[in-house]
Amino acid sequence: MKSAPFTYVRPASVEEALHVLDEQAGAARILAGGQSLVPMLQMRLMQLDALVDINRLPGLDEVRAAGAETIFGPLVRYATIERLPLVAERLPLLQCVMRFVGDPQIRNRGTIGGSLAQADPTGEVPLSCLALDATIVAASVSGTREILIDDFLVSSYTTALEPGEMITEIRFPLAPHHFAFLERNRKHNDFAVVNVAVVGRRGSDGGWSDLRIALGGVSDRVVLAVESAALLEGTTLEEDAIAQAAQLALDVIDPPTDVRGTAEYRRHLVPVYVRRALSKLRDDHEPFDA
Amino acid sequence: MAEVVQTTRTSLREGRIGSSVSRKEDDRLLRGEGRFTDDVEPGHCLHMAVGRCPFPHARILSIDVSQAVALEGVEDVLVGSDVVSRSDPISVLRPVADAPDLGFYAMATDVAVFEGHPVVSVVAVSRHVAEDAIGLIDVDYEPLPHVFDVESAMDPRSPVLHPRVLKSNLLVKRLTGAGDPEARLAEADVVVEERFSINRVSPLPMETRAIVAEWQAGARELTVRHSTQVPHLVRKQLAESLRLEDGAVRVIATDVGGGFGLKLGIYPEDVLACLHAMRARRPVKWVEDRIEFFRASTHGRESVHSVRVGARSDGQITGMFDAYAVDSGGYNSPMGSPQLTSHMFTGPYRVNDAGTEHSVILTNKAPVGAYRGYGQPESCFVRELLIDRLACRLGRDRVELRAQNMLHSQDMPWQSTSGATYDSGDYEACLRMAAQAIGYEEHVKRGRGPGTDGRYTGVGLASFVERTGYASSKFLARRGSRFGAHESVTLRANRSGGVDVYNGVSTFGVGTETSFAQIVADVIGIDFDSVRVHLGDTGASPLNTGGFASRTLIASAGALRQAAEELRAKILRIGAFMLDSDPEDAVISRGVVCLRDDPNACLPLAEVYDRAIINQGMPPGEEPGLESGAQFEPEAAAYGYGTAAARVSVDPETGDFDVERFVMVHDCGTPVNPVLIDGQVLGGLAQGYGQAVMEELRYDEETGQLINGTMMDYFMPTAADLPEIELQHTFVKSPVTPFGVRGVGEVGTVPGCATIASAICDALADFGVEINRLPLSPESVWRALNQAKASREVRS
Ligand SMILES: Cc1cc2nc3c(=O)[nH]c(=O)nc-3n(C[C@H](O)[C@H](O)[C@H](O)COP(=O)(O)OP(=O)(O)OC[C@H]3O[C@@H](n4cnc5c(N)ncnc54)[C@H](O)[C@@H]3O)c2cc1C
Repeated sequence: MKSAPFTYVRPASVEEALHVLDEQAGAARILAGGQSLVPMLQMRLMQLDALVDINRLPGLDEVRAAGAETIFGPLVRYATIERLPLVAERLPLLQCVMRFVGDPQIRNRGTIGGSLAQADPTGEVPLSCLALDATIVAASVSGTREILIDDFLVSSYTTALEPGEMITEIRFPLAPHHFAFLERNRKHNDFAVVNVAVVGRRGSDGGWSDLRIALGGVSDRVVLAVESAALLEGTTLEEDAIAQAAQLALDVIDPPTDVRGTAEYRRHLVPVYVRRALSKLRDDHEPFDA
Repeated sequence: MAEVVQTTRTSLREGRIGSSVSRKEDDRLLRGEGRFTDDVEPGHCLHMAVGRCPFPHARILSIDVSQAVALEGVEDVLVGSDVVSRSDPISVLRPVADAPDLGFYAMATDVAVFEGHPVVSVVAVSRHVAEDAIGLIDVDYEPLPHVFDVESAMDPRSPVLHPRVLKSNLLVKRLTGAGDPEARLAEADVVVEERFSINRVSPLPMETRAIVAEWQAGARELTVRHSTQVPHLVRKQLAESLRLEDGAVRVIATDVGGGFGLKLGIYPEDVLACLHAMRARRPVKWVEDRIEFFRASTHGRESVHSVRVGARSDGQITGMFDAYAVDSGGYNSPMGSPQLTSHMFTGPYRVNDAGTEHSVILTNKAPVGAYRGYGQPESCFVRELLIDRLACRLGRDRVELRAQNMLHSQDMPWQSTSGATYDSGDYEACLRMAAQAIGYEEHVKRGRGPGTDGRYTGVGLASFVERTGYASSKFLARRGSRFGAHESVTLRANRSGGVDVYNGVSTFGVGTETSFAQIVADVIGIDFDSVRVHLGDTGASPLNTGGFASRTLIASAGALRQAAEELRAKILRIGAFMLDSDPEDAVISRGVVCLRDDPNACLPLAEVYDRAIINQGMPPGEEPGLESGAQFEPEAAAYGYGTAAARVSVDPETGDFDVERFVMVHDCGTPVNPVLIDGQVLGGLAQGYGQAVMEELRYDEETGQLINGTMMDYFMPTAADLPEIELQHTFVKSPVTPFGVRGVGEVGTVPGCATIASAICDALADFGVEINRLPLSPESVWRALNQAKASREVRS
């Protein structure tokens, strides 16, 4: 199919982009990597008055360290995240998940900002941003605000962004060193049936802290298994504790039934995958945080 | 410095039969310089968009096109009544014998019978505008109750799709077989009986369907660029539907991006594009998009089987019967539904009493047409899983039970109960080789596990016989087919010293240009690179049938050989005359004609050809020109065969499985080009793998709409998904074909589903898991495990 007509705008600055978004009052969208937006337009699942192409705006595709924080521009591509040593060093989970997104063509175009704004309930980027406790910076003609990732992700393909807002930054706090990621797909690098990302800090006494367990494909957005993580705080992740935490994860999920799997099957998989991810976290890495 | 692109070869390749010369097609395709239908854009071309019924079954109450007609850029609009008044229904190329004609017009008139059924079409200056116009058309539908599957279709309370022609949704029912299977089953020591469901899948070529239609109003001639496997049959069908003389239609298929049986014959959109072009007097182009493709291109397979096999306690199979129903969708498609399930039912086994009851049933889904394998993956799946279960019931080894029942080369030719005549082969050799390669005995000794990782391991096997090519034109005619079993070719020498080959099949990815050139080069004795193969143009090639049914090479090889021999004899006569000698003393060696005894007496072929073509200084009595043509019909179909084996590991906690190894042992007869054969077998296996573990077109039972009609939700395997595949071939010449070749185009699709299902069932045999439904997903395996565990608990 081919899209309905729309106006194409290529602003020269973020200010101009925000201005256009404001003028169009919800009938315009930002074009980043286009890997979700363009198919939706072509299939006429979405009709817009204007596309605001931010691809040539300078400075939006950078990653920088600011003290303990790591700050991403919205236009940083998956492929950049996959390769950048700074990401590997500071946010190894985020780097690791990139290999599970689509294929190289998708990763050469798709952006971190677009992926967050898309808010796919199985998306690897929203999932790891949730596990890593990111903060989204959104700008509009009336100013800038910071939104915690957990508040930012509202439901399927819905975020806390207002129509005139644009993501201008994604900020990550210092991340725990250890992580594990598991994903089940129907085919190679397809959207997940379920995925699990866990991060944590192992102390020199072998006890774990700062655990976060994020789950995808199990609800209308990616979710945190807060109680499960709390239960494990201070433990050495022994089998019993893991099993209990894995079972508790069922409390935070409300899985869908779709072509990739039924709710029943996803409910069966979640404790299994949480258990396996936690065991992997415990077994795979160096003994404790440097 | 810019890279220099080398466009001519420094030396010409010889490319004899049996050599793995690289494909002629590859150079342009790998450079991205192929020419597909969508690459053709004539001046002033209009673009067509088609409005389709969103319901599985609906009455069209009214259509208001006024806003669309008024939209700037729109040139023509067609609705059902226009189509009925200006065209005739599309014929069925290969109907199931005795199936009545449903009268399939190119557009729904009063009732649409599947989601995607065309109800209106528009041509405009661009596809964008044409789609805008479709959005402005107001169709008032009255949704009707729909028929979802073969079971509900036969419920007397269900609506009848074609009440003008049929009293129920049964299109046709046919009994085939020989002996007395019922009697043998009644007296058998053991009878195993199962119900199996085969998934509906998509043949899914990379290039969707496409057409560019140009009407020369003055000459009243239609030129059609078409993505098809059968240009000459398309020409015939288009002429019929459009009420034109065949001679007024020329069909050209250049590069075709895959067919797999889906591109056999014409579809409604082809007729619509031509009607628009004729009325608007401007070229019309339509390239199907993927959304339309999944809803309106023919689907493959989907059937339900009740199968029984009976045996003596010593393992001898005595009787087999398969009562099966094919879900044919809303119409008998332009090709017709698959027909080899009955034909290949008994496979490689010696069974004298066997039969099938084949029902074709109409439902409110997209029509089913041919798909690589054409019914044979289905019979392989049901038969081989049943034989595994028979072995289990008898406490016999699966390989030995198969070997005990297999036909041997001394039994050939063997007429099966379905009337198939197996020409030759050593079936057991392939079985043994496959068992050996997969490590069957070691597996039996080692056991299924679980391993330290908790996974269970299983080995599966499936043996098969596969029909390639057609028995004869007479055989086809008896079944109402509208094409012959023969092929035709024209060869022409040219004044540069090359030979041009003209044939009516198209280039759809199987390497036809290459294998044809190898045969011509080999027979005449010239270089492979001096042969140019021109395919797919009805204006240039002799009338023929086309590329399908694994028949292209089988039938064409005979015509190529005959024509090449004729050309060779004439080249030798003229060459010898020019060298003042006799033809018996002359030889053709690559670029020259020489005298056998005097290598210095040599003439470049270009000189010989030139002399013939301009008719100067020819031997007395020799006719001018250097051209030959031949028609050839093979004596019979050649039957390929083999055994596939897989080793699979299964995670019993999640149902997740991994096909760790896949082995295919297959007889390909005389190999014309071994690399092409591997490519064909691998491609087919990839499609078989997809059908086994991923692919399924799913309709919603409530709404009757396709749930997963996009590439995002239809799981087709890519290279990253496929297991390592190990190929082994045997080379038993077929006695019934030129050079002893067997078709290899479809064979890969045949054993995949059976082999993988057999392996998973083996891995989980300790739990009593039996799988009867395709595809096998981790979830379906998990469910089967739960079910098996539950029924054990009930029993214990
Ligand atoms: C074949 C294929 C496979 C895929 N596989 C996966 C997969 O395995 N996992 C996965 O997670 N995703 C997958 N995707 C989706 C992919 O990740 C998308 O790229 C991503 O969801 C969107 O990022 P984008 O930069 O392309 O955004 P676009 O498509 O350009 O935009 C997406 C949405 O975000 C908005 N947007 C973009 N940038 C901003 C901004 N700075 N501020 C506010 N709004 C903005 C747009 O207006 C639009 O609404 C796949 C896509 C394809 C085509």
